[in-house]
Amino acid sequence: MKNFLALTRRELGVYFVSPMAYIILTALLLIAGLVFYTSMGNAVQQRLPVDFSGTLAFIVYIIVLTSPLVTMRLIAEEKNKGTLEIMLTAPISDAAFVLAKFAASMVLLAYLLVLTLGYLVIISRYGLVDYGAVACGYFGVFLVGAVVYSIGLFVSCLCGSQVTAGVITLAVALILIMTQMIGSTFAEGSFWREVLGYIDIPNNFGDFLRGVVDRTRLVYLSTVTVFFLFLTTRVVESRRWR
Amino acid sequence: MIEVSELTKTYPGVVAVDDLSFKVEKGEIVGFLGPNGAGKSTTMRILTCFLSPTSGSARVAGFDVVEQSMDVRRRVGYLPESNALYGEMRVEEYLLFRSRLRDIPSGERQARVGEVLEKVRLTDRRRSIIAHLSKGLRQRVGLADAILHRPEIVILDEPTIGLDPTQVRDVRELIRGLGQSHTVLLSSHILSEVEKVCGRVLILNRGRLAASGTPEEIANKLMKTARVRLEIRGNGRAIKESLEKTPGVERILWSGKGDLQTYLVEPKEGLDLRPVLMKACASAGWDLYELGYERLSLEEAFAILTEAPLKGGPG
Repeated sequence: MKNFLALTRRELGVYFVSPMAYIILTALLLIAGLVFYTSMGNAVQQRLPVDFSGTLAFIVYIIVLTSPLVTMRLIAEEKNKGTLEIMLTAPISDAAFVLAKFAASMVLLAYLLVLTLGYLVIISRYGLVDYGAVACGYFGVFLVGAVVYSIGLFVSCLCGSQVTAGVITLAVALILIMTQMIGSTFAEGSFWREVLGYIDIPNNFGDFLRGVVDRTRLVYLSTVTVFFLFLTTRVVESRRWR
Repeated sequence: MIEVSELTKTYPGVVAVDDLSFKVEKGEIVGFLGPNGAGKSTTMRILTCFLSPTSGSARVAGFDVVEQSMDVRRRVGYLPESNALYGEMRVEEYLLFRSRLRDIPSGERQARVGEVLEKVRLTDRRRSIIAHLSKGLRQRVGLADAILHRPEIVILDEPTIGLDPTQVRDVRELIRGLGQSHTVLLSSHILSEVEKVCGRVLILNRGRLAASGTPEEIANKLMKTARVRLEIRGNGRAIKESLEKTPGVERILWSGKGDLQTYLVEPKEGLDLRPVLMKACASAGWDLYELGYERLSLEEAFAILTEAPLKGGPG
């Protein structure tokens, strides 16, 4: 456990030594800030309660689209530089190694999300906030983040270079936010349309924004995360036998 | 301390380690010698639990490398050939991180890191960013990491590769120092390197143990087939023909420009021809400028030790 924390801490440190964390942070606060500003403006003009879900929806997109920056480095770099050898000959299990990487990316996500809480402080001064719905929305962002980061981690452990890992992860992320669109090319009620709609990230996220925790969505998102973390561990282990 | 039996590791299409067995006793410094691709690194990676053997078994400090991997890892310090480090970290920061990873109690970490930094003489560079260090200094960081947790066994893969002669000497001194309290297995493809620090040498070729023994035994074995090199002033052809009549001489290669000629005398199996040749020169009244064993090239030494047919050879 101690070595797990040591590893997580180091990984987290790397985000802030490199420009990655700042790039993502800037993109997030800039875009989410703009969306927030316009939705705030509309609400004030029309004397309506401020709706935070629009901003949260954008936050999800930004998290998904910047996920390659967060995950591409994680294992691909260690493979490329050869540091994998000193890490995996230290007394730390392959699973702990993978989980520590994932944990670091999730802590980064939490950090990013905490910074967006500033918007809430502003809203609360102008009107009522449905804190339940907002919390639920944030929970949704977190779950979606876990899915894309676990997929990114998996891609990173398959690739020998960060750039390849980043490009592939970006492609996967793009597909994940467009599957509904892709699915709509199939006939109404067809199997593929159903399936693709189900995979679609905005689709999965919608309920959370409305303050509803749909159990099937919850199970789906967490299963995908666990599945990819498991696959990553197996791939890391497979170096022994190959 | 290290017990390897019938170890085999195959990669698709390649047998990297082929039915290898050997033992290393506590407190020994053993050198792994072999040309590139002989299976040195693969064996070391198996011993450090980075790879698993295809068949056979290896026990390190009494624990099986596959079944009791964590127990092995706690007792082994490893410097991989690549010596890849986290370049963005500072020396001390990196070693503190590694000591956390190694479960060294928090109260002891700082002292332990200070101690190894002192040992590898990096104390004055402890605030340096690793990526900014020279290769020799980075190698010392790797060594410091390998001994940080006071392992019973230290495995060093090509510890002196790519270093300049001064750095090589430094690292050699360090390794010799390690031998007092640790069991050391190191690899190299430089014969003289291994000779200087190791009590015993294992020679690997194509994944198999080709020869083993003390450096002296290995050297003797090499000497038996070594050629004597002579430099004599005078008529080359006449001297050559005359030398060929000396008993024990198998063949003479002769080359040289001008007055001073070089002769390579190949002895019949196992004979030391040096005194005989000296006398022959003296009695013939030739001016002898040099007499000694010819330094074998690495390829030739391996060819002899591994009893593989020698390709070509200098004429």
